[in-house]
Amino acid sequence: MSASNAVRTIRLGFAYMALNLKTIYRQPAALFFVVAFPIMFLVIFSSLLTFEIGIPEGAGANVPVITFSQYFVAGIMGVAIFGTSFNLLGTSLAIQQFDGTLKQLAATPLPKTSFFMGLVGTALAYTFLQLVVMLILGVVAYGVELPDAQGWLTLIWIVLLGVPAGCVLGISITKIIPSANAAPAVIQAPFIILQFISGVFFTLASLPTWLQWVSGIFPLRWVAQGLRSVFLPDAYKLAEPGMNWQLDIAAIVLAVWIVAGLGLAVLTFKWDRSG
Amino acid sequence: MTSAISIRGVTKRYGAVTAVNGVDLEIESGQVYALLGPNGAGKTTLIEILEGYRERDAGEVSVLGFDPQRQRGELNRHVGIVLQRSTPMEGLTPREMLNFTAKLYDHPMNTDEVLELVGLTEHADRRGSKLSGGQKRRLDLATSVIGNPDLIFLDEPTTGFDVSARRQAWEVVRGLTARGATVILTTHYLDEAEHLSQQIGMIKDGSIVFEGDMTALRREMETGTRISWQPPVGLDLSDLLEEWKSVRVGPDGRLSLPTQEPTRHLARLIDWARNRGIDELPELQVERPDLEEMYLELVDDSQALETAEPS
Repeated sequence: MSASNAVRTIRLGFAYMALNLKTIYRQPAALFFVVAFPIMFLVIFSSLLTFEIGIPEGAGANVPVITFSQYFVAGIMGVAIFGTSFNLLGTSLAIQQFDGTLKQLAATPLPKTSFFMGLVGTALAYTFLQLVVMLILGVVAYGVELPDAQGWLTLIWIVLLGVPAGCVLGISITKIIPSANAAPAVIQAPFIILQFISGVFFTLASLPTWLQWVSGIFPLRWVAQGLRSVFLPDAYKLAEPGMNWQLDIAAIVLAVWIVAGLGLAVLTFKWDRSG
Repeated sequence: MTSAISIRGVTKRYGAVTAVNGVDLEIESGQVYALLGPNGAGKTTLIEILEGYRERDAGEVSVLGFDPQRQRGELNRHVGIVLQRSTPMEGLTPREMLNFTAKLYDHPMNTDEVLELVGLTEHADRRGSKLSGGQKRRLDLATSVIGNPDLIFLDEPTTGFDVSARRQAWEVVRGLTARGATVILTTHYLDEAEHLSQQIGMIKDGSIVFEGDMTALRREMETGTRISWQPPVGLDLSDLLEEWKSVRVGPDGRLSLPTQEPTRHLARLIDWARNRGIDELPELQVERPDLEEMYLELVDDSQALETAEPS
């Protein structure tokens, strides 16, 4: 690809992202589910469950005790990241494959790469919006403590890798969706299961080993674990599998999803399933 | 004259059904070419092969010098497409949609100009979800031309329109073609082809059965004669239907036989009736249908075009 082509591809990616954001912004229902749903979760769970999280075994006496909110904000942010990328993107793509919207787009010279860039950019923008709202809410209403400088850095790369990885899953799952009506159901089922086996609601260590392996294939587990490293005191890593935050493995798994998955998704993506 | 489209032996099968069967076409640059034919004749499949949506099973295709199957990205820079189904993004206004689409092309037209051309200036800032069916269709037209294409595909652009909306749409299409682009129009309305196109191709059962202008089509289709009568209820017609494969049975039971040899077939019919003791064929008519009638029969039931040959 020549330099001017690359510039064009990036420029059109941003143009498509802007178009998408405008469209979603004007659909109150979609906006509600994207922004409000994880926030509602945070509010409900934080209000219901006010107990403190036990200090991990062998962590010593100086480890601070944390609230459930502090633990849960990490998991629910993982859900938010996955909700915008996997859930919202997968559902809207499937609907647009069946109603002809993407067929019309395929008639234009919009490069496929720009199209996918625009999708990922859209998901990133919405995730950013959600995370900001959740952080403010968590800090103001539930006394969640903000991360240190190291934690902020981790948060940023987790989002920058986690969102595209979720998008890849969202794009891939459209292949097994048989109709526009089936899209929400086909996507919700694995989404909910993944939440339960990825350490969002229950600690990973409380799951049988084989389930830990299953969730370890998908990005959500690594995103959630990475976020716990951001929001929990360091000593809590003893409660994780391998007694470690495993950030290196998280980065590798997410990167593999993005590179291999996106390549495959771009090659096999169908613009039109309406006919 | 150069060819905008040149295809040879194009074939597309879906399982046991051959939707397009070895079609050859040469379409000159700068003209409006209408592809006419009943539903299910293969129009849309053929067009979608030319547009790059479908892959052919056999044959060669050149559209503006590109192979749509392998060079679609390049081809899309020079082509505008109006699909059969209209799906504007509901949250966006025509102006926003056109501004975005314009960015995708190298030498786009001005958005205001295009809005004017399709008559959407007044509704330029109304959300897609609030546009009427006709306005959505005009937006489709606008989207297809904003990139200043050399070739425009219009797949049944006025299906479902009332008479006045169709006339308005025709005006818009004429405005577009005045700019010198080649237009491929598919339609099952004969009058649409007559009003808009210089050249007509008629497709039936996946094959081109006629090519030429309207005058030639009239000459070709108006040559036949039709013998028809109303058989009494209960009469056994099986051997007659067996002998004349191309007899059509109307909804009221009326039989009609298109033929090039009316005298011979009429004599045979009278013999057949006498053998059954019928001296007078009820409501017998021998007539020469005009083009519209012939075409409507073709659209109703694509078995009617061939003239009768006793088997």
